[in-house]
Amino acid sequence: MSSVPHDLVVGGHPHAHDDHAHHPKGIMRWITTTNHKDIGTLYLWFSFTMFLVGGVMALTIRAELFQPGLQIVQPEFFNSMTTLHGLIMIFGALMPGAVGFANWLIPMQIGAPDMAFARMNNWSFWLLPPAAIMLLLSLFVPGGAASGGWTMYPPLTVQSGMGMDLTIFAVHIMGASSIMGSINIVTTILNLRAPGMTLMKMPLFCWTWLITAYLLIAVMPVLAGAVTMLLTDRHFGTSFFNAAGGGDPVLFQHVFWFFGHPEVYIIILPAFGIISEIIPSFSRKPLFGYASMVYAVAAIAILSFLVWAHHMFTTGMPAASILFYMYATMLIAVPTGVKVFNWLATMWKGAISLEAPMLFALGFLFLFVVGGFTGLILAIQPIDIQFQDTYYVVAHFHYVMVAGTLFAFFGGAYYWLPKWTGHMYNEKLADWHFWLSFIFFNVAFFPMHFLGLAGMPRRIPDYAQQFTDWNMVSTIGAFGFGLSQLVFLTAVVKCIRGGAPAPAKPWEGATTLEWTLPSPAPYHTFETPPVVK
Amino acid sequence: MDRDDPRRKAAIRTGLLLLAIALLFFFGIIASRFIDSPLVSTGVVGGAVLLYLIVAIGRHLRK
Repeated sequence: MSSVPHDLVVGGHPHAHDDHAHHPKGIMRWITTTNHKDIGTLYLWFSFTMFLVGGVMALTIRAELFQPGLQIVQPEFFNSMTTLHGLIMIFGALMPGAVGFANWLIPMQIGAPDMAFARMNNWSFWLLPPAAIMLLLSLFVPGGAASGGWTMYPPLTVQSGMGMDLTIFAVHIMGASSIMGSINIVTTILNLRAPGMTLMKMPLFCWTWLITAYLLIAVMPVLAGAVTMLLTDRHFGTSFFNAAGGGDPVLFQHVFWFFGHPEVYIIILPAFGIISEIIPSFSRKPLFGYASMVYAVAAIAILSFLVWAHHMFTTGMPAASILFYMYATMLIAVPTGVKVFNWLATMWKGAISLEAPMLFALGFLFLFVVGGFTGLILAIQPIDIQFQDTYYVVAHFHYVMVAGTLFAFFGGAYYWLPKWTGHMYNEKLADWHFWLSFIFFNVAFFPMHFLGLAGMPRRIPDYAQQFTDWNMVSTIGAFGFGLSQLVFLTAVVKCIRGGAPAPAKPWEGATTLEWTLPSPAPYHTFETPPVVK
Repeated sequence: MDRDDPRRKAAIRTGLLLLAIALLFFFGIIASRFIDSPLVSTGVVGGAVLLYLIVAIGRHLRK
């Protein structure tokens, strides 16, 4: 079963001791807090702020590419923008966003009073702002910010200026934060579940995060090791990746993508979890094939470690390796297909209603499948040789990261806003947010498929005349998509400041434990664990 | 959780184990560069990561 019907929950004090919730007020509340809900809120606001910062960088890129010829920024700055946009969106917006949802929801969904290591939880969050500031400050140091792409490939990154050192340090700090957060999540889920809440009774969101946290513990240290070696190559005379000293730059790519490909799943799996909560709620049916969903997530996670070299087909490798990585990559479509099938089967003959969370879930489903199919196309090595480093790849991963993860986050935000704030959000604003985002997202990113097919390379500040029309369309879409997010900000702020009071369970089909709590969720919850029968 | 809560001790045990695994992978990937054949040693670290995942995830799937 995927969730716990309320009549099976007995005992416990869902909001015990709320009258004793003494905590500092003002800024000190947020700096010193060890409360999982406060820290979840901090993560979510940090993530949204970084999303806006990374978004401004994306708009700088798109403004420059509106038409051929250099108009707005210098090529070096353009390269820094593409690099920082990638780093900030991945490490600053998407990952912290997912951790924000985890902090808010995992303890409430498993009936735990808080995260297992509450102080470490605070530290995990407060490492992030200095790292983000360091990344942004690198724009102002001599030589400018890192400009070799978010993948930080040597030899370029061995040779570049001190902006690269700040980037490496920031990646170290954000990696440490991720590892601590992951240890906290695994420990919480394994040790603090309410009596009767067996692993196979957990909501799917908790399952996706348990597996994501395991992935993070495995791969973040590998990335940290890789950038540490890059740092010693730069400053301490080693030659891990420096060909001039006998090192191998391609080895960096292997190590980086050993982290980088699972990272894609680290970002998308929590989104799968959110979608798996929303679709049953708004279809008023239990999730179809709960056990197969869990097995599919596990299979995706393990397979994600066997496919990294599909990012490196053009570096040259033996035919046997090419075939292995090609087929292994295609194999991931099987468990992913199981998930998509189960989501569709959940909706089948359901009493579906189309509130904003469900709209975003459907948008996710439609667009993520588009991104998945272009991924399958790129998995075919002879085709990938043609598309490598073209806008086709940019289109592919934005369909996965933006329409996949980001749409799931928006859906999740609207789904849980009543529980977080105690108010219902404005449905009309949320619907506008969805439709504007959906339309402008496709206007921005669908033409990139055509540009890539026509051979336009990525990470260039200028291009040949024949690419002009679709670039103009794409830029208009990007600005539209960016401005649409102000509607989201308005909807969230309005919801925090007021609105219709939210009942404990505003969604008829919702069945997980957090909906047994009043809205807004009290500061302390489940201090005496509930018993799940 | 109180200091003598058994869940607290279990949580610390789990946390330390996971931290040890993370440190092992960090130092392992760097140490692998100093072994004669980096491809073989990287393969060993990669295999260890995969084994960890299969064991870590697999042991929960039947519960």
